[in-house]
Amino acid sequence: MRMRRSFSERVYRTALLIFPPSFRARFADEMIEFARERAELARNRGVFDVARLAARLVFDLALTAPGVWLALVTHRETPDDNDLPRDNMDILAQDLRFAVRALARRPAFTIVAALTLALGIGANSAIFSIVDAVLIRPLSFPHADRLVVVNGVQGTQLGQGVSYADYVDWRRLNRTFDEMGTLRGQSLNLTGGDAPDRLIGSFVSASFLRVMGAKIAQGRAFTDVETEVATSAPLAILSTEAWTTHFGGDPAMLGKTLVLNGTSFTVVGIMAPKQAVAYNSVPDVMVPIGYYPNANGLARGTRGVSVVGRLKPGVTLDAARRDLGAIEKQLAESYPTTNAGTDAEVLSLRETIIGPSRAPLMILLTAVGVVLLIACANVANLQLARGASRVRELSVRAALGAGRRRIAQQLLTESIVLALFGGVLSIGLAIGMTKGVVALIGTQLPVDPTTIGIDGRVLAFALGISILTGILFGLPPALKSSRADLADMLRTRIGAGIGHRVTRNALVIVQLALSLTLLAAAGLLTRSLIALQNVKPGFDGDHLLTAQFRLPPAKYDTPDKIATMFERATAELRSLPGVESAALVRASPLSGNGETYPATIEGRPPVKPGDEPQLQVNTTTPGYFATMRIPLLAGRDFTAADRIGTLPVVVVNRAFADATWPNQSALGKRIRMGDSTWRTIVGVTGDTRHFSLNEHQLLQAYVPHAQRPQIFTSVVVRANGDGDALALARSVREAIWRVDRDQPIWRFRTMSADLAASVASSQTTMWLTGLFALVALIVASVGIYGVLSYTMTQRTQEVGIRIALGADARQVRRMVIADALRVIGVAVAAGLVASFAAAGLLRNSLYGVGPHDMPTFAAVTLVLSGVALAACYIPARRASRVDPMVALRSD
Amino acid sequence: MARDPQSQLPLTPVVLHILLALSDGERHGYAIAQEIEETTRGQVRMGPGTLYGSIQRMLASAVIEEAPARRRATDANENDDARRRYYRMTAFGRRVLELELDRLNAVVQLARQKHLVGGARA
Repeated sequence: MRMRRSFSERVYRTALLIFPPSFRARFADEMIEFARERAELARNRGVFDVARLAARLVFDLALTAPGVWLALVTHRETPDDNDLPRDNMDILAQDLRFAVRALARRPAFTIVAALTLALGIGANSAIFSIVDAVLIRPLSFPHADRLVVVNGVQGTQLGQGVSYADYVDWRRLNRTFDEMGTLRGQSLNLTGGDAPDRLIGSFVSASFLRVMGAKIAQGRAFTDVETEVATSAPLAILSTEAWTTHFGGDPAMLGKTLVLNGTSFTVVGIMAPKQAVAYNSVPDVMVPIGYYPNANGLARGTRGVSVVGRLKPGVTLDAARRDLGAIEKQLAESYPTTNAGTDAEVLSLRETIIGPSRAPLMILLTAVGVVLLIACANVANLQLARGASRVRELSVRAALGAGRRRIAQQLLTESIVLALFGGVLSIGLAIGMTKGVVALIGTQLPVDPTTIGIDGRVLAFALGISILTGILFGLPPALKSSRADLADMLRTRIGAGIGHRVTRNALVIVQLALSLTLLAAAGLLTRSLIALQNVKPGFDGDHLLTAQFRLPPAKYDTPDKIATMFERATAELRSLPGVESAALVRASPLSGNGETYPATIEGRPPVKPGDEPQLQVNTTTPGYFATMRIPLLAGRDFTAADRIGTLPVVVVNRAFADATWPNQSALGKRIRMGDSTWRTIVGVTGDTRHFSLNEHQLLQAYVPHAQRPQIFTSVVVRANGDGDALALARSVREAIWRVDRDQPIWRFRTMSADLAASVASSQTTMWLTGLFALVALIVASVGIYGVLSYTMTQRTQEVGIRIALGADARQVRRMVIADALRVIGVAVAAGLVASFAAAGLLRNSLYGVGPHDMPTFAAVTLVLSGVALAACYIPARRASRVDPMVALRSD
Repeated sequence: MARDPQSQLPLTPVVLHILLALSDGERHGYAIAQEIEETTRGQVRMGPGTLYGSIQRMLASAVIEEAPARRRATDANENDDARRRYYRMTAFGRRVLELELDRLNAVVQLARQKHLVGGARA
C-alpha cells in the first residue's frame, strides 16, 4: 500500500512538470497534499472511485496547465489584462468543444498531423517500454539496491574469479555485508531416465539463496551445514521450469533421487517460477557448492567461483571494497604463494546485469526522441501555415471581444487536443512496435521479454509526452498569434505569410539538421557493422557443426579414462558418413567458453604477479587446426604420440610468438601456463577471435587433450564439401552414445550461427537506428515539401510578375531551388555540427570506424541533400508553370 | 494602484465560492476545496490544478493574499502542517464579493418579481 502510494505520488509530481517552474515552486507541495487527501478518500470507497479520481486528476492538470502558462507569459505584456479568471472548467469545456470542431473542419490537416505525431509518440512509447523494463524498474530481488557482485583482482587484472577459500574468509571477517554467498554455474549430466539429459546447474552455498532471496515454492532451502565443503549433503533444489519440462511437474518430486554427474541427489525443494537467481538466469537445478566437480576447484589458488553479497544498509560500494581489500591484504601475508598482489572489486549486481544493455538502449531512445522532435517541428510548421490562413477567423473573434490570451489559449488547447489525438492513435503503433522490437532483441535483453509490454507506466509516459508535445509545438504559434496585431494582419493578409516565413524555415532547418544527425548515427553504425562482419575470425566457419558434452567425474575419475574416451569419440566422429574431419576442443570459438592463464616464459626475469602476459589456453585433440582450417605457420600439429609421460608440448598463435620472440623462431622455447609444467612450443598457428569478433587480438596457446585431460569438451565436425553441417547432429549424438550410452551431448550449433549471433546485437541496433533515421528523413522531406509548396502559393504574384517580365521556366525553377538550397545548406551545416557533438555518444558502440568518420558524414550529407532537393522539385516545377494572368488576378 | 472592484465582475462560480469560503477566516487550499464541496453539497468539485490555478490568479489580482506564517502555528483546529499556506481575503476582495452578491441579489429580486423563484413556476 505504502509503495503504491509513493509511486502514484511520484507520477503526480512528474505530471506537475507541465506547469511553469515558478508555479510549481509555489504550489506543487500543496497540490500533491491535496491529491493525496482525495486519493485516501477514494481508496476507502473502492477501485472504481480510485480510477475515476485518477482520470479527474489527469484532466484537471492537463486542462489547467495551459492557462497557467499563458498567464505567466502574457503577464508582463498586458498588466491591465490581469482580471480574475472565468471559471477554468467552463472555459476549457468551451475551448475543447471549439478545438474539436476546428480540427474536424480540416480533416486532412488533422489526420496528417495526428499520424505524424502518432509515429513519434508511438516509437517513443515502444522504446520507453523496453527502457523502463530494463533500465528503470528495479531488479526483482528483495533489497536489489544493496546486492553486489564481488570479483577477484590480480595485479592490474580486474574482473577475475574468486577463490572459494578467500570467499569463506571474506564472509567470516567482513564488516560491511549482511550476507555473502557463492555460486559456480556448470551443467550437470542427468542420467537414469530414457535418454541422458543435461541440466543447467548452479553449485551454491546456502547463503547464496538468502542473498538472492530465492523463493521456495515447495520443500525447503539448503542449510549452511549442508553446503559447507566438509559437510556437504547430496541434496538438490529444482526450478519450477525444470520441474515441469524435465519431470512433467511430478507432484511427488520432493524426496525423489536424481542421478547428476553419476552421484545421487535427493530433491528437497522446488523454487517458485522465474527465480532468475544466477546472474539473471534461472538454473535448472542447484546443488551444494561442495559438489563442484573439479579436483582443485575450491582450492585457494583456483579463482573459479562467483561471489554475490547483500551490503548492510547505507554501505557504499567503495566502503565494501576497502573492507574486503583489507582482509585480502591479511590473506596475502598468510598465503603469499597464492594471494600476493590480489584484491577485491565490488560492483552493483544491477549494473553487472543491465550495464551492457545501457548504451544500445540509450542510442535507440535518443534516436526516437529525435524523431519526435522532428515530428513536433513538422506539426508546428503545419500549424503556422494554418495560423496564417486562420487570420480572418481569429481577427473576427478578436473583434468580438476575445482577449489575446483567450485566443492563444484556444490555439494551445487545439494543439494539445491534436497531440492527445495523436497519442491515442500511437497506442496501437506502440503495441505493434514493442512486439516487433522485443521479437528482434528480446533474447539479448537482461530481463524476461514477456514482462515487456504496454502497461500503465508506458501509457502514463505516452500521455505525458503527448501533452508535452502539444505544448512544444503549440506554444510557438500560440504566442505568435497572441502577440501579433490581428487587425494589422487582417488588413495585409499576405504580410502574415511572410512574417511566418522565417520561423517556418527555421523549423525546416531543425528537422533537416536532426535528420542528418540520425542519418549520421545510422551511417556510423552501418560502417561499424560492415567492419565487424569483415573481421577475419581466423578460421573457416562454413559447414562446421559444434556441440558440447561433459563427462561425469565419478565415472571418469582418472586422466587415462578421459583420454581413452576422447580418443574413441574422435575416431567414431571421423568415421561418420558426410564428415570430412572432426576434433575435440575444450572451448570452441564464440561459444562463450574459454579460460585465461598468466604465462611464464623460460629464461626471462620474473615479473610482478598480475603483469604476466595473459594466454587464452585451449585444449584440443590432433586435427583441430585442420578441421577449423586455422593455418599452421610453423612446426607441427599434435599427434597421437603426445600423451601423458611424453614431452609436454604446446602450440601458440602468431600474436604471442611475435610479441614474445620478435625476429626469432618460437619453436623449441618453453613456457608455463598457470601450473608447474614447462611446455615446449612445437607449432605456431594463425590468430583467431575467441570470445567476440571485436576483441583485441588475444595471445593464444593450445595444449593436447591427452596431456591435460579435462571432463568438459566441445565437438567440432566439418561436413564434406557443401554438406549441411546441422544435418549431422543426429549421427554425431549417436556416435557419442556408441562410446558411452549415458553421455548427454548438447548445444548443437553451426559455427556460422555462432558467427552470426556475435554480430546480432550490433545488427539490431543498426537496423533500428537506420529505421528511425529513415522515418526522420521522410518526415523532414514532407516538411520541406510542405513549406516550399506553401511559400510558392504565397509568392504566386511575385512569380507571375517575374514571368510576365520575361523570366522563363528554368529561371523560376532555379530561383525556387536556390531558395531551397539556402535552407538545406544551413541545415546541413547545423546538422554536421550536431552530429559531431553527438557522435561521442556512439563511441563505445562503434568498431573499426571513428565517431568522426569523414566518408560517412559526406555520404549522409549527400543523401539528405538529394532527398530534400527531390522534395523541392514538385513545388519548383509548379512555380515555373504559373500563368502570369491568373497569378496577377488572384487576390 | 487602486482598482475599481466593479471591473472584476461578474465572478466565475469557482472564484465566487473561494471568496465565500474565505469570508469567515483564513484557510489552506485543501480546506477551501472541502468547504466548497460541503456547502454546495458536492455540486462544485475542483481538482488541485483548478484550485491553485485560480488561487494564483486571485493572488495576482489581489482579491486574496497569503496569511502571515506566525498565525498558522496557533491554529489548533486545522491539521497543523506548518508548511501549508493559508489564504485570506483582502479588503479589496471583500468589496468585490459584496458587489457581486449585490448583483446576484438584484438578479434574484428580479426573478422574484417575475414569480420565477419560490414555487412561482406552478
